[in-house]
Amino acid sequence: MGRYVLRRLLLTVPVLLGASLLIFAMVYALPGDPIRALGGDRPLSEAVQAQLRAEYNLDDPLLIQYLKYLAGLVQGDFGTDFSGRPVLDTILDRLPVTVRLALVAVGFEILIGILAGVLAGLRRGSFFDNLVLVSTTVVVSIPVFVLGFLAQYVFGVRLGWFPIAGITQGWYSYVLPGLVLAALSLAYVARLTRTSLAENLQSDYVRTARAKGLSETTVVGKHALRNSLIPVVTFIGADLGALLGGAIVTESVFNIPGLGRAVYDAVLRQEGAVVVGIVTLFVFFYIFFNLVVDVLYAALDPRIRYE
Amino acid sequence: MNEPRTETLDEPTRGEGEHRESFSDRVDDRAEELASAAAAGDIEQAGLWRDAWRQLRRNPFFIVGAVLFLVFAVMAVAPQVFTSVDPRDCSLARSGDGPQPGAPFGYDIQGCDYYANVVHGARISLAIGFLAVLGTLVIGVVVGALAGYYGGWIDSLLARVTDIFYGLPLILGAIILLSVLPERGVLEVSLALIAFGWMTAMRLVRSNVIGVKQADYVQAARALGARTGRIITKHILPNAMAPVLVYSTIAVGTIIASEATLTFLGVGLQLPEISWGLQINAAQNRLRDAPHLILFPSFFLSLTVLAFILMGDALRDALDPKLRR
Amino acid sequence: MRTKRIAGTAAVLSGALLLTACGGGGGGGAEAGADGGGTFSVYIGEPENPLIPGNTSETEGGQVVDALWTGLVEYDRETNEAVYTGVAESVESEDQKTWTITLKDGWTFHDGTPVTAQSYADTWNYVANSENAQGNSYFFANVEGYEDLQAEEGGSPAGTEMSGLEVVDDRTLRVTLTDPYAQYPTTLGYTAFFPMPQAFFDNPEGFGEQPIGNGPFKADEAFQEGQGVTLTRYEEFGGDEPAKAAGVEFRVYTEINTAYNDLQAGSLDVVDQIPPDAIASAEDQFGERFKTTPRGDITSLGFPTYDERFADPQVRRAISMAIDRQAITDAIFQGARTPAASFVSPVIDGHREDACDVCELNVEEANRLLDEAGFDKSEPVDLWFNAGAGHEEWMQAVGNQLRENLGVEYQLRGDLQFAEYLPKQDDKGMTGPFRSGWIMDYPVMENMLGPTYSTAALPPAGSNVTFYSNEEFDAKLQEGNGAESIDAAIQAYQEAEDLLVADMPAAPLFFGLVQYAHSENVSDVYVNSFGRVEVEDVVVGSE
Repeated sequence: MGRYVLRRLLLTVPVLLGASLLIFAMVYALPGDPIRALGGDRPLSEAVQAQLRAEYNLDDPLLIQYLKYLAGLVQGDFGTDFSGRPVLDTILDRLPVTVRLALVAVGFEILIGILAGVLAGLRRGSFFDNLVLVSTTVVVSIPVFVLGFLAQYVFGVRLGWFPIAGITQGWYSYVLPGLVLAALSLAYVARLTRTSLAENLQSDYVRTARAKGLSETTVVGKHALRNSLIPVVTFIGADLGALLGGAIVTESVFNIPGLGRAVYDAVLRQEGAVVVGIVTLFVFFYIFFNLVVDVLYAALDPRIRYE
Repeated sequence: MNEPRTETLDEPTRGEGEHRESFSDRVDDRAEELASAAAAGDIEQAGLWRDAWRQLRRNPFFIVGAVLFLVFAVMAVAPQVFTSVDPRDCSLARSGDGPQPGAPFGYDIQGCDYYANVVHGARISLAIGFLAVLGTLVIGVVVGALAGYYGGWIDSLLARVTDIFYGLPLILGAIILLSVLPERGVLEVSLALIAFGWMTAMRLVRSNVIGVKQADYVQAARALGARTGRIITKHILPNAMAPVLVYSTIAVGTIIASEATLTFLGVGLQLPEISWGLQINAAQNRLRDAPHLILFPSFFLSLTVLAFILMGDALRDALDPKLRR
Repeated sequence: MRTKRIAGTAAVLSGALLLTACGGGGGGGAEAGADGGGTFSVYIGEPENPLIPGNTSETEGGQVVDALWTGLVEYDRETNEAVYTGVAESVESEDQKTWTITLKDGWTFHDGTPVTAQSYADTWNYVANSENAQGNSYFFANVEGYEDLQAEEGGSPAGTEMSGLEVVDDRTLRVTLTDPYAQYPTTLGYTAFFPMPQAFFDNPEGFGEQPIGNGPFKADEAFQEGQGVTLTRYEEFGGDEPAKAAGVEFRVYTEINTAYNDLQAGSLDVVDQIPPDAIASAEDQFGERFKTTPRGDITSLGFPTYDERFADPQVRRAISMAIDRQAITDAIFQGARTPAASFVSPVIDGHREDACDVCELNVEEANRLLDEAGFDKSEPVDLWFNAGAGHEEWMQAVGNQLRENLGVEYQLRGDLQFAEYLPKQDDKGMTGPFRSGWIMDYPVMENMLGPTYSTAALPPAGSNVTFYSNEEFDAKLQEGNGAESIDAAIQAYQEAEDLLVADMPAAPLFFGLVQYAHSENVSDVYVNSFGRVEVEDVVVGSE
């Protein structure tokens, strides 16, 4: 197992390099002229535009631009956005915020999602099962923006239970946005858990366990649930990566300065260094959390072996 | 998910009742392999589907789901059945007016009859939802099955490609993809949603395939010399599909909703095209003074998702012998 | 895929910001302070650039820069005329070409150094020099010697000082323009002309995060990206009276709805923009604390005069007459715009309410003109605008009206981001009428006409995206620029505007309004026609 993990981690380096080149190429391929766009309806003077193009190597061919970027990277220079702000500053400012929000959201997914799924799965067809079904469909169909706005209005403005926006109140500031952010994934987690558990409860080994006279708690908790969690863990693992990729809408609605909004703006402005820096970080997150998930598989299912 | 089973290879065939049935389509293919009797498999498959259908017909959840689905399907194909009002007959004088006699859903911001618009929106929304989920499933299942079954460097490669796709922001990919394509229609938008939405399906399939491929009946089939393609399609996939199907039934809804996201980013459908996504998107600016604009398309979308979940659950239950009561 | 949906309003804002100059934003969070005034909070969007006046051309950063700096002249709230309450004692000229700027005594930067004529000369030379890549460089293009500071392709500029700038003594600066410009003093209140201290030239790096200005508020802390900054009152302020409040917090929001919710809950003090769906209820909710003032901007429907189909002025005048502006401002903008019947904003001296004779709905006449011109109604009309900036709704309303009133189908072309849209526009790529917006830099008629319709402003140098070119019009502008009196200038500018009305290179549609509201913690809140909260006048606490 140790060697497997090590090999996966080593593989990360070439993957990230390839990913960064791909992302760089994609930003390069974006149609249009970012420097012309800087001035908006009133173009910057031509000499200023030429100066900016030279500063950001925009007149170079793709590979030269990329190599210059890598050369800077080796010296710890992640480049800057078009206003001259270092990309590293942006990442260091915003990453902790995004991580906190993602953790809170995943916490809700695990807590509420799995609990609702287990209860629904244990009693299929019950009132609670149907309640989960209906709330799932509703949540999926309400846009995050609306959900966020309603939550903010009801719990923030009307009831005053939570801060309306911003991150000035520590972890407490992240509760409401985290819940909203988790809402959509909650639906998936609950339904995956429910189905998976229901299926496992019918399986032979559970029958065997029951026949052996094990208590229901042991049967469900130790046997059925454990096996039911593989798809759920897979989903949450992928979702944690997605959450760390920032949530543009939730961040906007709750005014949380995370990475999602930063990368969105950077794509629209075609700020290559910003996009490559942040997105490569996202890719790293996915690789890392998928490794964690794969290791978890082995823990959940002894038949799975990595060598 | 199919855990340390205690059964030995022989057990199922000697088992009883559901157990026999349960494993008949998995392991009994052994007989088929040995006899090279392709026809036998078909008969068994047919039997399975017939059983499933018999069960589905009695399932009230399935019936509700199917009826809902039919209603929306008709709405998509022939909206005139539901409304005779021209959705493009607009007058700013009644902009944002709420429901009233003659206009059950009120009017939208442009002053067009909202009921007619929501009804006419079904076509594009369902088409995109259906196409995109189908595409997502196909790519996810193929890539996930290959990665999960073969493992090793193939898995590493495919899994890392997936990671990279996960990391790419939808907006970046979609802008590039759609600026390359000459048209901007249902197909193109679905394509963009597929290209940046297949990864979760892939990972779900991969993880289940990894679990299932160690199962005894698969080992048995392999030991008996079954071809790899056959093992994957006949033995592994049917038992690894449940999570991804559950995922897909919900994904239909999220995909229909995210079509609007593309429009907002300037890479989706363009007004005056009519779809639920566009309506939901436009309604967001008017939550406070015209909440009916968000309510109705969201409600229709909810019902659609409900229909898919109900049918999907029932179908899965019917096809999975373990769950039969 | 995680849904990445953003409220249109936020985007409307950021799109509109790119328009150019000036702007609003404001909001704050009030803490009653014992130190005489207290601190209040003002909503802003994220500034695009470091807070350097020469590089700040959008409204959000502009709001903060305006609090940190005071210009040579300021503008009268009522008439928008230049008033000498700023750093300049006088700005005079005999020939409208060579201007003598005399500074008042006693103005200092926040680091204690005096504001001198040299500060202005150094700053202006810096901003003009293309090597420094300052967005506002072109504001000095009318100063003699500007060309010497512009680098040729791949080279360096010939000089570092404009020959038209002469420091006579500490308090006197002489500016020589390339051409006479009677309204030059009025332009000097704009952000681009603010002075920077020696500290900037010693170390430009990082200056923009914690700038040193000469205005009513100073920055004791750095601007936090994505969050904002709190400024404190500058006690040695050189103006007539220091700021009323002890401090002002500019709080960055990405979403106006969020800011508005914060305002409703009392955790934000000033919002200079009301979400469209809240406008109807805001008046009830805020009463006296909800206000509306005009803003110096215009939204027009530009025509591709280079396109054969729209080359005939009669076609363009007909389309203008097919649009019911009032219906759109009422239904789509909820009254946050007013119908425009002139190319010049009502906040500017010389504006005429009915300058345009084809800006009222007249379906019959429109159809008559269109038929006379032989316009092919069977072919749909493309309507262009940039993506994600909230222009869909009003553009669709325009399209619906064209269909209804003229029987012409339409297709919206709102799928390009600015980066792709603007070059296409500069490259004569519009196949139909397009959104065209302009915010005034300074309240002068010329600023609403020259930059958008004169031959000198043809792309890529300028913003004349309709590619309208009329020698007579150019000559009238010249005449106005060189006029001996402001009245004579206005006369000439109005004649120029009449030519535009006859040729209709763009159909004026709407003028902007600032709608703003504030909490009970503050009073004396005023948003000027640049859309900026006049933060120095805001009083914290009940009177």
